[in-house]
Amino acid sequence: MPPLRSPLFALVLAAAAAAQEPAEPPRFEVWHPRRPATEAEHQVAKWGPRGLPSPGYVFRAARVLPITAPPIDDGVVVTRNGVIEAIGRAADVAVPAGYEQVDCGAAILMPGLVELHCHIASETFDLNDTVHPTNPEFRTLDLIGMEHDQIRTARAGGITTALYIPGSGSNMGGFGTLTKTWGKSPEEALVRFPGSLKIAQAGNPEREAGDLGTDMMGMSEGIRMTLLDGKRYWERHEAWQAGRGEKPEPDPTLELLRGLFRHEYPVSVHTQIYQVVLQTLQQLRQELGLWTVVVHGTFDGYRLSEDLLRAGVPVAGGPRQYHFDRATGRFEGLLGNWSRGGQHGWRAPVLGLGSDGVGVNTDSPVVPQEQLPLQAAMAVRLGWQHEWALRGLTINAARFVGIDQRVGSLEVGKDADLVLWSGDPIDPRSYVHVTVVNGTICYRRNPNRPEF
Amino acid sequence: MTFPIHHRALLAAGILLTLAVDATAQGRGRRGQRGERPPAPPAEAKPEDSKPAKPKVYVAITGGDVHLGTGQRLTGATVLLADDKIEAVGHNLTVPEGATVIDAKGKVVSPGFVCVLGNGMGAGRSAPYADAVNPYDPEIKQGLAAGITAFLAGSVGSSAQLTGSNAVIKLAWGDAKGMVLKEDAVVGLAAELSLGDRDKLTEAVQKAREYLQALEQFPKQKAADPNAKEPTAPPGSEKLLAVLRGDAMLWINPAGGGGGFAMFGGGGRRGAPRADDIDAIRQALATAKLFGRGVVLQKPTSGWVIPDEIAATGSMVFLSPRDRRPADPANPDRTGSNLAQAAILAQAGVPVAVTCPVGMFGGAGVGIGGILGQDLNTPQVDAAYAVRGGLDGRKALRTLTLDAARLLGVDRRIGSLEAGKDADVLILDGDPLHYATFVTMALVNGKVVYERAKEPLYSHIPR
Repeated sequence: MPPLRSPLFALVLAAAAAAQEPAEPPRFEVWHPRRPATEAEHQVAKWGPRGLPSPGYVFRAARVLPITAPPIDDGVVVTRNGVIEAIGRAADVAVPAGYEQVDCGAAILMPGLVELHCHIASETFDLNDTVHPTNPEFRTLDLIGMEHDQIRTARAGGITTALYIPGSGSNMGGFGTLTKTWGKSPEEALVRFPGSLKIAQAGNPEREAGDLGTDMMGMSEGIRMTLLDGKRYWERHEAWQAGRGEKPEPDPTLELLRGLFRHEYPVSVHTQIYQVVLQTLQQLRQELGLWTVVVHGTFDGYRLSEDLLRAGVPVAGGPRQYHFDRATGRFEGLLGNWSRGGQHGWRAPVLGLGSDGVGVNTDSPVVPQEQLPLQAAMAVRLGWQHEWALRGLTINAARFVGIDQRVGSLEVGKDADLVLWSGDPIDPRSYVHVTVVNGTICYRRNPNRPEF
Repeated sequence: MTFPIHHRALLAAGILLTLAVDATAQGRGRRGQRGERPPAPPAEAKPEDSKPAKPKVYVAITGGDVHLGTGQRLTGATVLLADDKIEAVGHNLTVPEGATVIDAKGKVVSPGFVCVLGNGMGAGRSAPYADAVNPYDPEIKQGLAAGITAFLAGSVGSSAQLTGSNAVIKLAWGDAKGMVLKEDAVVGLAAELSLGDRDKLTEAVQKAREYLQALEQFPKQKAADPNAKEPTAPPGSEKLLAVLRGDAMLWINPAGGGGGFAMFGGGGRRGAPRADDIDAIRQALATAKLFGRGVVLQKPTSGWVIPDEIAATGSMVFLSPRDRRPADPANPDRTGSNLAQAAILAQAGVPVAVTCPVGMFGGAGVGIGGILGQDLNTPQVDAAYAVRGGLDGRKALRTLTLDAARLLGVDRRIGSLEAGKDADVLILDGDPLHYATFVTMALVNGKVVYERAKEPLYSHIPR
């Protein structure tokens, strides 16, 4: 930098510095500009049922955490027929006649937790079918069973919604399913299919997708070619709907890719390491214009926190919760770093994704599904804000995949998915008293035989 | 196991080197120390000794909320260390002149954590560990940051023979001599033995007992008959004698060898063990009776079904509370395992230690793999899950301290803050079992070996 020659020059410099420093960092918002405004306007995605019959309950707890509103001491949540009817202080909410009271004393009541990256739809670890380098014709929808061991245990861990996605054995594992963890049938439990398209950018698919080369350039090409097929199909469809051209011949695989370009659901991308996350950002979000969610965004990907903030790409982190930076000898807490931004080793300080852009995932069965809250606890240990962790487990995750109109917070009209905790929900010493899905109590703790 | 040629050559060279170093530096054969008692702590200086005793170096940790490791807790107490031992713990202690005072007001003081299973952290890969430790292994700092001050390194056998090669290692950064607390601390055995093997074991125990009795009577015999021949130990009875004498702990693995592929923390068909191991546990308890002393059950599935039977033999258990096995729906009260197992066993009086789950990731080491909460980087998480399952929160610290030391047979040396024990102490910034608590300072053998503020590992993380 040249020496300061005049006060005027110094003034210009100061003004430039002030211009670079925004008064308040931009608030994170998920980028999906084409997303249909209502569920009814979705053409490809299939939404699960709402308002299924459930008894009238009044859940009372010492502290209610609605997540999107301030905590309520001695609060109640009134539910019936699958939805939340009322929420407030016990003194203020009238108990409707015939509703059963469920009072767990000094408990914490919060919305059910939302898992964004797991592979436990089926009892065996069979989600890595790899027929081609990309497999958009695969889907997890038909694999879901409500009594699989890990789904049962998930309820005991407070998880009520999960995105069951194929594994990362190939670059495109197939379409995942957003499902509740309880229902009288998989159809009743469905939240939305597709939940997302699973893409594994790198860092796993190298093992099996050898025919296009085993490195990042080759894998990128495979992902691009498949998605461009879907994009052309979507464009022909849009043209036909606008009255131009023929209706494209129906193709079930391309049909699901069409929904992706309509922003009816996101791509959830297994991506990690700075270069690979950058590739995700450039290829999927910027070049192809997809609604992009980074899942298990680990290693040093957090160095891109400001880029993702500006691109509206959220991050769910786990099962890794730290990156050991050999250059500094530090254990870098991943979710704290994604959220806060800051000085990431070799880059100038960058903005973080803040309170709204970061979530948490288990990658179960790598970390068992029921230990989702522990993932958040470990992130808090390494510097993530506790309050942000509670958001990351609920409303953030719901927003990332576009189901926040149904789940993720305690609000009147939302799904009655609740968890009553004995204490701090992310403290492994706390346990779940009761889990409620769609207004039905689907787990009650038996102290002699706790499922978790 | 076969090694490629160059590996074999390296191995041979390594052994030769070890032998050479050992022989010259310590003047004894390679096996000289194996299987013997650990060296006794240095005797107190006797008054008649002409040489004046070296003045003691005192460290006083004052004002902390002191968890003794026994389940008791003293608020605002002082822990006084003299050289490498704990001199006293209590209120209103007189701090000797010249003592280094560490103010722990607003902090928690606890014994260092003891891990019943571990690897790395400065321990060598084979016996004798005294010759193989690396007191400058960076993993030692990582272990100390996790609160670990001692762990069992090496292998514990699980066959019909008594086998195992291991040592209790202390995380004495920079002090090789202070790192090996006890070689061959543990001997392993399979739970389920064939009738033939059980006969052999019974006979071997019988012969070993006869030898020990003969040995005991030998001085008297020798006095009566100067030509009396000293009894000789039955061949191959070294480990058996160590167990009978109480020099080594007998660990028994109800799961038998292997234990299956355990990528999944629970559930899943692949590698899932049987729904109960009651028969195996009962065989292990029969072995305990044969030896006349309690054994250690390694991660039993069904211990919680028969806790009183285990307690009656004086046996102990270590487990990973999160390991769960689905119950047989037809017999839910006697099959499977669940989070309550630690609580049920402890309630029956069985000492319980906890360890981390063993899976594809994590495992019984610190490492830098990043899957936090599944390995030894956060030992308190495993104790915390035992509390979730009903273990009394006030006693849960024992699963990482005193009871863990008992399972390793080193509870006279470590595991609690009591006068005379090793000065292995943690200063923590909060509740020892809280997930966010950090070790502020760790002392091993009376020396400060870790300070969070001075190490790069976690010092940048805001609190």
